[in-house]
Amino acid sequence: MTLLLTITAFALISYAILSGVITPTFENLELSAARTDLVRAERAIVADLENLSAVTADWAPWDDIYDYVSGHYPGFEKSNLVRPTLANLGLDMMAVYARDGELMWSQLLIGSEEHNVGELGILSPEDAAYNFLAKHHGETHKTLGIVRTAMGPMLVSSQPILRSDYTGPIAGAVVMAQFMNNSLLARLRERTEVNMEWFYFGDAGRHDSIIDSNMIGENGIKIDTSELAISSYTLLMDIFGNPVLVLGTDTPRDITGLGEQTVTAAMLFLLSAGVLVAIVMWFLLRNTILAPIELLTSHMNEIRKSGDLSANLDLDTGDEVGSLAAQFDILTSEVHEARKALLAQSFKAGKADTAAEVLHNIRNAMTPMINGIDRLKKAFRAADDLRISEATAQLLDPKCEPDRAAKYSEYINASFDHVRSANVDASEDMNIVMSQAHQIKAILTDQEKFANVAPVAENIVIDEVVGEAANVIPKGTGSNISVDLDDELNRYRVLAHRTGLLQILGNLILNAYESIERVQRSDGRISLSAIDAVIDDKAMVRLTVRDNGTGFTKDVCNRIFRRGFTSKREGDTSGLGLHWCANAVSSMGGRISAESLGTGQGAEFHVLLPAAQGG
Amino acid sequence: MNTRHSDECIRVLIADDDEHILNAYKEAFSEPGSTREVKALDALAAELFDAEADAAEEPHFDVVACSQGDDAISLAEKASNDGDPFDVVILDVRMPPGIDGVEAGSQIRKLDPNIEIVFVTGFSDVPLEELQRRVPPPMKLHYFSKPLSFIQLAQDVASMVKAH
Repeated sequence: MTLLLTITAFALISYAILSGVITPTFENLELSAARTDLVRAERAIVADLENLSAVTADWAPWDDIYDYVSGHYPGFEKSNLVRPTLANLGLDMMAVYARDGELMWSQLLIGSEEHNVGELGILSPEDAAYNFLAKHHGETHKTLGIVRTAMGPMLVSSQPILRSDYTGPIAGAVVMAQFMNNSLLARLRERTEVNMEWFYFGDAGRHDSIIDSNMIGENGIKIDTSELAISSYTLLMDIFGNPVLVLGTDTPRDITGLGEQTVTAAMLFLLSAGVLVAIVMWFLLRNTILAPIELLTSHMNEIRKSGDLSANLDLDTGDEVGSLAAQFDILTSEVHEARKALLAQSFKAGKADTAAEVLHNIRNAMTPMINGIDRLKKAFRAADDLRISEATAQLLDPKCEPDRAAKYSEYINASFDHVRSANVDASEDMNIVMSQAHQIKAILTDQEKFANVAPVAENIVIDEVVGEAANVIPKGTGSNISVDLDDELNRYRVLAHRTGLLQILGNLILNAYESIERVQRSDGRISLSAIDAVIDDKAMVRLTVRDNGTGFTKDVCNRIFRRGFTSKREGDTSGLGLHWCANAVSSMGGRISAESLGTGQGAEFHVLLPAAQGG
Repeated sequence: MNTRHSDECIRVLIADDDEHILNAYKEAFSEPGSTREVKALDALAAELFDAEADAAEEPHFDVVACSQGDDAISLAEKASNDGDPFDVVILDVRMPPGIDGVEAGSQIRKLDPNIEIVFVTGFSDVPLEELQRRVPPPMKLHYFSKPLSFIQLAQDVASMVKAH
């Protein structure tokens, strides 16, 4: 959804940029082209005027025509002013005036028909243009421009007739003209490749309304824009300096059309590129960021569920996400180690506190007991010192004098009183001793309650504790006993109390070591392995400690986990004992068993523990 | 200024939170070594059997007992102020819920630099070095672990008082 919105926003922004920035640029280009077309059209007309002026300049400063208008060369007309002259010169009209303005020769051709120049309404003395065309007031005076005639607008050029060396006096005037008709228009259009036209100033022409001077801007141009073309207009002045024609050009809006096509194509291209980039980005994000992050999240959830901080993600993507995953692995490893240390420490601290409290209470209880026994000992020692027998013997001796006999009797009575008194005290002391003995028993009973509190179970990878437990084997004894740990041990996880499991395995490994030592095998071997097991529909892990030591008989096997049982020699025992191991495994919800094929056949001890998640 | 009791009677202050222990102390320290009847019996035996009567001097103790460290400090302070200070104070190290014996001993040492201080504990959770640091000087500091014979302790207390 977000991706779709992004692409849409991208398309809208692109459209805004294209239509707001690029399209106006195309329009400006078209306006510029329209102005250029108008200028080219105007210059084409000016060029024709200049050409007309050049032709006129060929004729006016010429001794022959000078002599002709001066009346000195009558044959000039016959030899030069012939009908093909106009056609050869590309003219529609030509007139030759004498110095006084008298028309000496003229010719007007419309198509192939010859007309009287008077029809034009510009060359008669009463016409306004007459004084501009038929007469010149100086050798350099020329008339060149457009003039409105009764038969249509004309390009007209008039120059004074001078000697060939441009000296005067002025003998007359040569007037040449060319209709601004469709033929000229076609030629100009062809030459300039500009779609131009002209019409009289004051006429509507093709324009919807009459164009007047006010419509022309400061630059002399009026521009009308339609969907298909840009129309440009300017005014052409006549020989009097007044507006006479409106010159117009049409410039097709090809640039905008091309621009719009370009914009559309660019839009489609950008849109396609955007979609393509979005798809590529999505794939890249998916593969390089989202998928690794999903893995990381899944890994974190797995840790949250299982509580197993020893599991590593090992996500080596070589980028920032991979670096994050590696940091996470380091963090969880450190937390895992810290938790192990904390659990072990809290366990030890708890045990230490408990031991201190128990010792304190037991020693307190034992103190009155010892003092009671002390007093008993003292009392009995005092009774033992009494010489009752000796006194009795003296008393029974007939030779004993009465006074002395009375004293012996007093001594015997006092002795018995002392013994009775000592008995009473001894009875009290015995009560104290018994009372304190009961108190000690009560303390121990209390401890039994705490002993039944199960330690915290952890998610433990087997090979972590096995490697540590194997350290119980004495170093530097010169024995040749190998310990083989199965490579697959790291696949198995159990729910157990770490320290307890360490002690169980350490005890089993040490027993195996001592068993091998007793038979003095040169190829002693202890191996540890694990397999999955299902007991009463519960997933378990069976750990096996196998040795090739002394082994035991079936009878021993039946008694091996009983309290006080040992197969070792007197004074040769070590470790916590198999009875303790059995109790510890049981407290973790597991079972322990042993088997051997007989004496000298080695032994196997199996520890079943609940399986943990994450394996 | 404190004055030490000069006759044979040794003034002992005992603090222990266990009532049975306190009773055992009292018995061991209060009971004369020999009663009048026993002395008469010994005298008669000497006369009749030509034996020598045990003329050894039995120490006499004036015992004051309490169950908390704060009480021990108060009693020691009062005795010192009354000019009849204790010769020996016997302190249990653990006496919940009040202050422990080490703190009580430290306070009492400040009140009376001459008093013999005896620590008796059921568990040696305070190292001897720390005791010597907190309750100096070492020659007036004694340390016993329970269980112990209070009769023997009484004799030891008498010896330590005589030695000083």
